[in-house]
Amino acid sequence: MSEAVKVVDDVAFEDLLANPYPVFKRVRDLGPVVKVEAANIMMVTRFDDIIAIERDPETFSSINPQSLLNTVIGPNLMRKDGDDHARERAAMDPSLRPGVVKRCWADPMRAICDDVISQIEHRGEAELFDELAAPIAARALADILGFDDVDWRTMALWSQSLIDGSGNYSHNPEIARKAREAANGVESAVDRMLPHHRDNPNPSMLSSMLQADPPQTVEQIYANIKVAIGGGLNETRDSILTLILGLLQNPDQLARVRAEPSLWGPAFEEAVRWISPIGMYPRRLTRDMEISGTLVRKGEQVGLCVGAANHDDRRFSDPEKFDIFREEKSHLAFGAGSHFCAGTWVSRALVSQIAVPTVFERLRNLRLKNPDHIRIRGWVFRGPTHMPVVWDA
Amino acid sequence: MPKIRFLLTDGAELAVEAQSGRTLMETALENSVPGIIAECNGSAACATCHVVLPENIMSALGPISEHENDMLDFAEAPREPGSRLSCQIKVSDALDNVSVRIPAA
Repeated sequence: MSEAVKVVDDVAFEDLLANPYPVFKRVRDLGPVVKVEAANIMMVTRFDDIIAIERDPETFSSINPQSLLNTVIGPNLMRKDGDDHARERAAMDPSLRPGVVKRCWADPMRAICDDVISQIEHRGEAELFDELAAPIAARALADILGFDDVDWRTMALWSQSLIDGSGNYSHNPEIARKAREAANGVESAVDRMLPHHRDNPNPSMLSSMLQADPPQTVEQIYANIKVAIGGGLNETRDSILTLILGLLQNPDQLARVRAEPSLWGPAFEEAVRWISPIGMYPRRLTRDMEISGTLVRKGEQVGLCVGAANHDDRRFSDPEKFDIFREEKSHLAFGAGSHFCAGTWVSRALVSQIAVPTVFERLRNLRLKNPDHIRIRGWVFRGPTHMPVVWDA
Repeated sequence: MPKIRFLLTDGAELAVEAQSGRTLMETALENSVPGIIAECNGSAACATCHVVLPENIMSALGPISEHENDMLDFAEAPREPGSRLSCQIKVSDALDNVSVRIPAA
């Protein structure tokens, strides 16, 4: 006998934005699938359930032509499955494979980090969101996409506007307008750059899409470049800040990492488990299905709360603690299944091998300016929003 | 049905009956072979289904794609001459009684 979906109706949306983890814990303990009224979504929050769902894409589909994401950016690979998804993914992957990252992107990313840090190094003080993490993430992404004339603030504005537009469930006209403007801006930039990349094959994503077999249509390129901007900037920025924050709050672990550079990798994985930049993404049921005994009907949408799964105390002991030495390493911050984050290997290299080690190398005795006033916000997307620091200049 | 012998990191052997046409990764997951995580469920994106095969059967399995080749250099356990991503290998009679080792990270 299957259970009905339980409902939580006494949580405010603001509670989720301020700190979703207590809500996630309550929901996770209540049942495998729980409707949270404030978010208007049925949440799946347990680690093993999400893994099982992501191994069954025929039942739990990403296809959703009516989704806001499709409306805002056009039909894209995030809302496709099977061969349609695989072909578009294969057109992007040649720019994002770990070996390509090492051979082609590591040096430019290192130059970007050095340049950004050089602009603040002498001051002894900075706000790391705007003055470090956002410009590094945006400039690295522009390079990888193959945009050579888009400044980092425009990249950041596009990313935020596309993300906001894709989550604009209240149909706010101003948010919709900004998202349209961003979409137009991206399309113009693609139009400007395509001839160059067509004539000069190179490792950039625009070039990979043109070289793919079959080559991607302009509509596919527009849409999937927007996906890469919405999914490749804020998340990288947030994980840079989260890793710095976790280490600054745990000086003993920072000392160990600095003494033993092979620990940068595990430290990064722990940072994105601890505060996952993407906390939730949807799947739609193609048939009636029980999730650990709770029946969900065909056509319904469930929100896979990977942020919650990454704090599932059935799997991770003391999940609220930042601990780079924890036994259980594999997490769901990059998702699972065929939609496993395409930018995983870029982010691992940029954040854990280049940006954050360089920050600690060059900004001596780095520390939080207001350790008691750390602002972290969001639940679908989450990260530090303001991080003033000081160091010995 | 081919019999696959998974050699686990602790030295134990787990012999399983495998269905031809399934991937080696799927076979490992269905039999709860420890060490095969397969985060991306067969998309060759995560490098967490790394196995090491005897070198003398490599040629029978067909060529390694450029994508898989790149991924293998970044798997957690160091790459070896017989390294493959198990999600990219279809079970066939060529694997009957073959030892498939799970490399220690």
